[in-house]
Order: sequence, then C-alpha cells, then structure tokens
Amino acid sequence: MSKCEITFGKMKWKNPVTVASGTFGLEYAELFDLSQLGALTTKTITPEPKAGNEPQRIVETEVGLLNSIGLQNPGVDEFIKIDLPEYRKFDTNLIVSISASSINEFASLVKKLDTQPGIDAYEINVSCPNVENEGIAFGTDPEIVFDLTKKLRETTEKTLIIKLSPNVTSIMDIAKQAENAGADGLALINTLYGMAIDVETRKPKLHNIIGGYSGPAIKPVALQNVYKVAQAVHIPILAMGGISSVNDALEFIIAGATAIAVGTYNFVNPLGTLEIIDGIQEYCISHNISYKNLIGSIQT
Amino acid sequence: MYFKKIQVLKVESVNDEYFVLRIRDKELTQNIKPGQFFQIKDPCAVFPLLPRPFSVYEVEGDKLSFLIKKVGESTKHLSLLKEGHIIQLLGPLGNGFPLVSNKKVLIASGGIGYAPMTYLEQKLKEAGNEVWFYHGGRSSNDVFCEDVQNCTEDGSCGHVGLVTEHIEKCFDSIYIDVAYACGPEAMLKVLVGICAERNIPVYVSLERVMACGVGACYGCVIKIKENDSIVYKKVCKDGPVFDGAKVIWDE
Repeated sequence: MSKCEITFGKMKWKNPVTVASGTFGLEYAELFDLSQLGALTTKTITPEPKAGNEPQRIVETEVGLLNSIGLQNPGVDEFIKIDLPEYRKFDTNLIVSISASSINEFASLVKKLDTQPGIDAYEINVSCPNVENEGIAFGTDPEIVFDLTKKLRETTEKTLIIKLSPNVTSIMDIAKQAENAGADGLALINTLYGMAIDVETRKPKLHNIIGGYSGPAIKPVALQNVYKVAQAVHIPILAMGGISSVNDALEFIIAGATAIAVGTYNFVNPLGTLEIIDGIQEYCISHNISYKNLIGSIQT
Repeated sequence: MYFKKIQVLKVESVNDEYFVLRIRDKELTQNIKPGQFFQIKDPCAVFPLLPRPFSVYEVEGDKLSFLIKKVGESTKHLSLLKEGHIIQLLGPLGNGFPLVSNKKVLIASGGIGYAPMTYLEQKLKEAGNEVWFYHGGRSSNDVFCEDVQNCTEDGSCGHVGLVTEHIEKCFDSIYIDVAYACGPEAMLKVLVGICAERNIPVYVSLERVMACGVGACYGCVIKIKENDSIVYKKVCKDGPVFDGAKVIWDE
C-alpha cells in the first residue's frame, strides 16, 4: 500500500500526481508506463474540432513559457473514437478536460462523454486565456461559474473539477461559487496573461499578442492562489503552476493542495512526474508524516 | 523514442559559427532515419528552460553527432561543454525523409540546413540512388565539405551565387526524379517553385520553435494544404519533413 494514496472527489488515486491539461499526451507512453501516474489529464476537448490559433504560438521567456495554442483539438467525436480507447488502456484515473461556448454546450458535451466508459472526472476549463467567447469568459464571473457548475452537477455523477484562472480580482469568490454549486474539486491555476515583444521589429512575439504564461516563473503566484483558495473552501485542490521539482510539489501540498499537476516541466523533463511521485513518498517517510497530514500543514 | 542523460563525448569547433556535438550510445543510435532530430538540453542549465531540437548529423555505429550553429543562449552554452558533461537527449523524433531507391536525386541545403543532409546522402546512396548534392551559404564559413557542389554568395568557396541558381542549371542538364531540401525558408520556397515547374517532387525539412518535440503541445504548427483545405500540422511530429508542394509559406 502506497502511503500517498488520496481520494479526490469520487476518485481514488494511487499517488497525488497528474499532468496539466495541454502539456502531455499519449506520445509519452513510449517513454514510460502512464499507469504510474495518479491520474491522466487530457488536452482540452471541445464539442467541435478546433483549428487553434495562428502561429507564432509559443515563446520562451525568462524561466517561463508563453503560449497561444487556442485549444487545437479534433473535437469530442474524434476524441471518443481515437484517443479515448488508448487512454482506457492505462490503469489509472482519466480526467477529461473540456471547454465549450455556452452552459448548454458544456452540458451536452458532458452528456455525450458520460455515455463512454473509462472516464473518471471532468476538468471544466473555464480559464483558457487563448480563446474568444469561451474559456476565461466563463471563469472570471462567479455567477456564471456557479450556474455552469450547477448545470453540470445535475448532468453527471462523475467527479467535477473546475479549473480556475488567476487572472481575476478574487479567485476565492469564484472558488466558493464552484463549491456551493456542487463541484467535487478545484484545479488551479491556469496560465497567467503574458506577452513578449521583439524590440528589433517592434512586433509582439506571439501572433495573438497576448498569451498564457506558464513555467517556473509563475510558481510563487500559483502557490499564493492555492494557499488562499485552500483557506476558503473545503473541497480538494489539484494544484499546478510551474511545478518543476519535488520541493515545488511539496510547497503546494503544504499550502493545502490534495494533488498536484506537472505542466510545462513535462517539456523539460518528460520523466519529471515520476521523480516527483518518488520524492513526495520519500519526504513523507523521512519526515515521519502521513501524506494526509502533510496536506495543508503550513505552519503560520 | 528514448529520454536519456549521457556524457558528451566531444565538442568540436568547426569555425566561429558552427560546432559538432558528439555522443556515444547504443540505444539512441538504433533505427535513426535521416531527417529525424533530438531535443537536447544541459539539465544543469536553468536558463534557457526548454531543450532545443537538433537534426541528426552523422551516425556511425554507436556514435552520434549534431552539427550546430551558434544562434542563441542554448547553442552557445552547448558549444562550451566539455567531454564528460552530462546532457539530456529526447529522441529520435519526427518523421524523417522518405527514402527512394535506384533514382536520380537532388539534395539541396543552405547554411545549417546542411546538418541532416550527409546522413541522408549516405542512406540514399546505400539504396542505389545517384545523388547530386548542392549546398549554399553566404561565405566559406558556411561550407562543411569539399565533396559537394558548394555555392557561396560572396564567392569565397565553390560556385558564386545562390544555390538555387545552380540547381536550376543542374535541372537543365540532368533529369532528377526527386529532391530533398533543408535550409532557410526563402531558399526552400524558391526551390519548391523550381521543382514545381518541372514536376519534381520535393521534400523539405522545416524548423520551428518547439516546446515538447513529441506532438503533445501543438506549439510548432505550420499551415499545410490538405485536400481542399488548409490545416495546421505539427513540425515536430507530422514533420519536420513535408511535401514541399503542400507547405503554405510564411509571408
């Protein structure tokens, strides 16, 4: 029995580590057995195929990464046909990240996915900064987050995780609304708004001018958001934002996260998740603390 | 695809702009196709954060090398590494060049676009092809081998002028079945045009800023004509080699 097993909503995880949506794919199954992760999180799926944004889509900055992918994906039907059967082969939880452009569309998407076996949870992406009329347009308004979560709660029995944006005035208000409407858990943070300019051409480096900022640079911002939300709600938090080491992961857990997700760091070290899984366990043993007691154990 | 941390065998300076990074590994050198690449990074370096993609230059037994141009922080850093320093490699990645056999083929490279072409030439020759190899650069600094048709813009080595001008002359005298190219996009665009006029299929290897290198992040896409529509294809996984006639070039 692993010491770091957790319960997240209706899911049991063998360890508290997953990957952040959009930074991982089945491609990595060539490198390691993906069943070793506590959960797998898919790239965001939408009701219809999405072409994504015009390139340039990525720019590396000082210890961070700007992206403006625009949720390029083949749409839910293709996902069910091609990717889902592949994901099902792994002996771990599957979190399907989804986005849509209206509450009803979100509900239809969940209904469609609910007919499929092998899905354990939905991560509701109401925080993507790179798409118009969806994504962050939902996630910045506490009332809309409440209505959307409530509707989806009525639609599915499965674990519902609302993914929050840090690009808001009060992330706690939005977190509380999601909790009140019946969310099983929260995922935070999505990327921060960011941009970069080429001073020679004086043009923005991203075609969309502004994108989402991720990577080690955003970790302190993510950490304080997780800390604040952990104080405000009782549902579990899946924390992400620049996690690149065991130490980073531990900071988020101590701040109140039940589970953590590795994002940009997958591009730096595709085996980083495994090192973090081992490291968390070793920490618990060497510090003689149960994982359950480590969560939110910050000494203030 | 492997992810490994291994020792640098040697870093050899070619001149002030280029160097060759050599490593040795039994697993990594198995089944590498010409045109494939590796994501390389010094794991000790915090900045730059992400690995960088480099085409496979030479494969010989368990030895593998990369011809690299110093263009930014990552490549400068790699150029200074000493024997025994640990670097991380992810690969081989990408589709590589589709190989033909017993044909007359043209290889065209420009500048650092030379990197994947010697291994391609070797494999094409092994498959019974007759190869015409044209390489272009600004000056003799961009020339790597005496045994190919070198063309320099300043005339400091080989033929004077643009490599594409000399390739056109080659096409006028020899019937070429298929062309392979890697180099600056301005050169590739001209070459694809020249090939289209003569109905010669041409495969081009492209380069884009990448994050994951494996097809997970969708960061490195380019526009490709597919049937009657235009779609985004990933340079890292769907490429880096594309049918030149289908590429929509950046303006």
